Amino acid sequence: MTKKKPVNARSLFFPIMMALTVLLAACSSGNGNEESSPSATTETATPTSSASASPSASETPAAEDGLYSINDFSNVKKNEGEAIKGGSITFGLVSDTPFEGTLNFNFYSGDPDSQVLSWFDEGLLTWDKSYVYTNDGAATYEVSEDGKTFTFTIRDNVNWQDGKPVTAEDWLFAHEVIGNPKYDGPRYDSNFTNIVGMAEYHDGKAKTISGIEVLSEKKLKITYIQSTPSLLTGGVWSYPLAKHIFGVMDVAKISASPEVREKPIGFGPFKVKSIVPGESVVFEKNPDYWRGEPALDEVVLKVINPTTIVQQLETGGVDLVDSFPVDQYPDNATLSNVEFLGTIDRAYTYMGFKLGKWDAEAGKVVPDAKAKMGDVNLRKAMWLAVDNDQVGKKFYHGLRWNATTLIPPSHPEYHDSTNPGVAYDPEMANKILDDAGYKMDGKFRTNPDGSELVINFISMTGGDIAQPLAQYYVQSWQAIGLNVQLEMVEFNSFYDRVGANGEDDPKVDVYQGAWSVGIDVDPSGLYGKDAIYNFPRYESAENDRLLAEGISEKAFDVKVRQDIYKQWQKLMVDEIPVFPTLYRAVLAPVNKRILNYAIGDGTNLYPYQIAVSQDKPFVKE
Amino acid sequence: MDKAPIPISSAKQPTAKQPNKSPSGWKIIWREIVRDKVAFISLIFLCLVILSVFGISLVLDQEQIVSVDLFSLKQPPSEQFWLGTDYGGRDVFGQLIIGTRNSLSIGIIVTVLTGLIGVLVGLVSGYFGGTVDNIFMRFVDFFMILPTLMIVIAFVTAVPKYSIVSFSLIMTAFLWMGIARLIRSKALQEKEMDYVQASRTLGSSNLKIMLVQVLPNLSSIIIVTMTLNLAANIGLESGLSFLGFGFPESTPSLGTLVSYATDPQTLESRWWIWLPASLLILVLMLSINNVGQALKRATDARQRKG
Amino acid sequence: MWRTVARRLVIMIPQILLLSILVFLMAKAMPGDALTGLLDPSIDPAAMDAQRVRLGLNNPWHVQYWDWITQAVQGDFGQSFRFKMPVSDLIGQRMMNTVWLSLATLILTYLIAIPLGITSGRFNDTWADRLITGYTYIGFAAPLFIFALLMLWVFGFHFGWFPTGGSVEPGTEPGTVQYVASKIYHLLLPAISMALITTVTTVQYLRSEIIDTKQKDFIITARAKGASEARVYNRHILRNSLLPIAAFFGYEITGLIGGTIFIENIFSYPGMGQLFLSSISLRDFSVVTSLVLLYGAASIIGALISDITLSIVDPRIRIK
Repeated sequence: MTKKKPVNARSLFFPIMMALTVLLAACSSGNGNEESSPSATTETATPTSSASASPSASETPAAEDGLYSINDFSNVKKNEGEAIKGGSITFGLVSDTPFEGTLNFNFYSGDPDSQVLSWFDEGLLTWDKSYVYTNDGAATYEVSEDGKTFTFTIRDNVNWQDGKPVTAEDWLFAHEVIGNPKYDGPRYDSNFTNIVGMAEYHDGKAKTISGIEVLSEKKLKITYIQSTPSLLTGGVWSYPLAKHIFGVMDVAKISASPEVREKPIGFGPFKVKSIVPGESVVFEKNPDYWRGEPALDEVVLKVINPTTIVQQLETGGVDLVDSFPVDQYPDNATLSNVEFLGTIDRAYTYMGFKLGKWDAEAGKVVPDAKAKMGDVNLRKAMWLAVDNDQVGKKFYHGLRWNATTLIPPSHPEYHDSTNPGVAYDPEMANKILDDAGYKMDGKFRTNPDGSELVINFISMTGGDIAQPLAQYYVQSWQAIGLNVQLEMVEFNSFYDRVGANGEDDPKVDVYQGAWSVGIDVDPSGLYGKDAIYNFPRYESAENDRLLAEGISEKAFDVKVRQDIYKQWQKLMVDEIPVFPTLYRAVLAPVNKRILNYAIGDGTNLYPYQIAVSQDKPFVKE
Repeated sequence: MDKAPIPISSAKQPTAKQPNKSPSGWKIIWREIVRDKVAFISLIFLCLVILSVFGISLVLDQEQIVSVDLFSLKQPPSEQFWLGTDYGGRDVFGQLIIGTRNSLSIGIIVTVLTGLIGVLVGLVSGYFGGTVDNIFMRFVDFFMILPTLMIVIAFVTAVPKYSIVSFSLIMTAFLWMGIARLIRSKALQEKEMDYVQASRTLGSSNLKIMLVQVLPNLSSIIIVTMTLNLAANIGLESGLSFLGFGFPESTPSLGTLVSYATDPQTLESRWWIWLPASLLILVLMLSINNVGQALKRATDARQRKG
Repeated sequence: MWRTVARRLVIMIPQILLLSILVFLMAKAMPGDALTGLLDPSIDPAAMDAQRVRLGLNNPWHVQYWDWITQAVQGDFGQSFRFKMPVSDLIGQRMMNTVWLSLATLILTYLIAIPLGITSGRFNDTWADRLITGYTYIGFAAPLFIFALLMLWVFGFHFGWFPTGGSVEPGTEPGTVQYVASKIYHLLLPAISMALITTVTTVQYLRSEIIDTKQKDFIITARAKGASEARVYNRHILRNSLLPIAAFFGYEITGLIGGTIFIENIFSYPGMGQLFLSSISLRDFSVVTSLVLLYGAASIIGALISDITLSIVDPRIRIK
């Protein structure tokens, strides 16, 4: 199943909310250690094509010393037994709060909603394992010579679940709604501003979007201002909005309408039969689905609390869940009735150093030459001082592991596995600090000029090990003589203080955050000089150059682009405005009766193919 | 009409001896507690807990206890760690001691502060009556309707950083009304008594009458209410910590230790993390309530055990 | 009496207004706002700002408050930012769950309290009485959240007798017998857990009330006249002791409010308490404010109902 979250590909960096924890914290699995994730391994780790990648020998990854490795997991369910006709499965949406119920790709904002959506709706475009658009989806595309104009053709048999065809008008309509100033969802972003005429339309200066043209009932042409390789990796908004239903509504009222909340519509393999708001949804198959009639008769989705996952899996209360808390894995690795799938998460945890401020007027970062963390030696020593390898093993049983660069191995084409990052070496850390003039004065070191050095470190609460983890880092830094003061803050305060609204708290020197990265590799949204989410407020000429080149026309050549990002990863390891600490992976337990199921991208398995080998779920023996 | 909850042993023998509170109220209270074995044991237990918790926590290195040890995560009880360790490799026994100290401290601070404010407001309001009373009581009325738990949660969220003292202040702000009402009604009755009228005619100042004459007569009821409040406040604090709106983990409390039990695996297979704290809360509350009930009987002549 | 009731209702208005200002101020003082969670680097900060302006989040608090309160008095409590739907609809969805839960708890509370209280009061100082008072002492001391957690574990997880989350089985048609049965099944364990704790004060009260009444003159007279023991209890003592208890149910509402926050959280039961906690952490202010107001109003009305019933039951008590 190609699980595409319609997270806009282009940017898609979402901060990982530790507060809503378990949801996301759930995604972790990983490599035992950094050295073992060079390119060869990475390929297995994000195995792509359908069946193969499973390390068949061990269906339950064996644990040595309670350690696991993402390499032992397959992302594709092993098929055992024959599919029966029809059948009903239960999908557990793991969340400690009800889902919001904004059930339309053009409006939703929470991940739980997107889980609901992906059963009954989908994007018109699909992508492969490298996240590049393919022509296998509900629409095909052609790009013009200059790379700016895209012509899309929606397949003839793609129809809304009420029987009306999905048209180019619907696709245009989605753009018009999202570009409307009264639109209340979170989608109006650089994907849209990059369309010719969109800004004028958004500001009310134009009645239509000049860059979008309906060529025929099923053909749409979109012209973009700038051509970049990122356009092909999620830079196109591919979710149409049914104009025959929503066209008559006030844009501001669509998201609250019953057609979004109670009787939502899509063109996916299943259609919504009934909804208990926030709690559960029953889907029935959509026999007219464009790829073919779905194998299952029915899918039941229900919200389950993270604390009850294991119980539900054991008893067959759910067949699948969207995520599984990694810390519960060791105790349940041998559950007899489920198979655990795993894949590398598009995410990393990192330590950030504040190096400047945000200039809201100019909309750019202003590095401060005198920032407390301004000395790269200090930052490097802090990286050297932490043993992320042990952190991954002890806290996460090897299912999160030492991170080396700022492009995670979930992007195997661009992650530079030859770059070792900075490995744990406290002696070297001490030496660097000694050499740089940070002298010990009693228990702690002083600044080179002899003044007192107190480093304020903030980290997010939420999730069991948030506090011990942060505390561990503080202890590691104290061990090399740095006086680091920890403050645990809750998600909202955390991002408020690191500067999500542009008002950086000057009392923050170091912070621990996490980003979930988009399917496009371009990191400018996080490290560009005009990005407000460049929380370290880091800027350098070399950085600007590499980031610009990475989305330039010459970067359409994958080799060139790889090289650019290889340089960029190296630059970040040398300059250390932030350093990555852990990569993570996603675990997904699946009942053994489920067939034709996979997680991750580009697997060529789709939800309509999911089938079961028996009527009832297997239960724990 | 006597609505007092009845003592456990419930040997209810209304052997009324003294119709009025005698000046030696403290003696009666003491005698009553010593006679009621359950209450006496509870009192001794409480004293022991308080002494040992505060005593041991002087010796314990708090920094050591909350420091993380990667190599001893989730260990079962052993000689080194009497109650094992949690997922951060931190000694649970140490956390239990510090946690009990913190929970008790907050409970006591809040009880004392609410007591002070409540007595002050109640006394002034009841003694003077009239407009003063009216204003104060409208104020109290307003606070009474607040959904306390929700307001405290909202408040704690709005104050990003708090210490034991500021946390206690937040709780105090929304918990003083009950006692104020009670004291007011008692003061209203008391001021009609002959001795107050007599003092007035003798020209004693209001302040003096209130503090020297009325207050001592209310002292026993104040003690009783505050004891019972103490249990409630400790309960509220641990409840807030349980929901995640109390203290950060670096300042352990009984509630945070119990909240570890929301993880099913801890609940099922690592009892040493949450069970001691849960039992301790239960026993503490039981003891405080026992003592409180005994005090209540002591101040209510009809229920005395003799 | 109706004049006093009317007067109480009128007093309620400034109280609620004051409460709304208090909550509003606290909401504004919380770090971050609803948009903080939407960190998405591909969204232009200017677009975020435009959203803030559209939502009025940049206005001074009193302007925002005025906007909100003028809408609120017309019954429009605003939009939930997170759920993208009117707050009143959202709360309406959740409210019924909490109401059912509270109602079930209340019923169970009395179902447990009355037999226990009567047994304990009638046969005081017997072993049965000691057992019951022992239970009330422990119940009085046991924090609700610890008890509920244990109940969930034992009966939800260990024995698997009850569902461990949600309010109804997916796919059941509203209005059918299965639907109602499933609803009841889902709220049974949370309600029992809460009732077993909340009932203890009522048991204690009933017990002492009965013991008290037993020694009243009219009972002694009735006995002296040769009325049977059963008649004495059923006709005289119970009537006198039960009525005040029934009247207390309005006050119970306040207690239930606190309880449901814990219970819904522990049993992942989608009601208002759970909504409140998640709205606080996601800074969905319009929901937070409305919920607090609703709870405030509920406890005022609850107290009023109790006062009225009490004054009807017992003419000596006058409400003012």
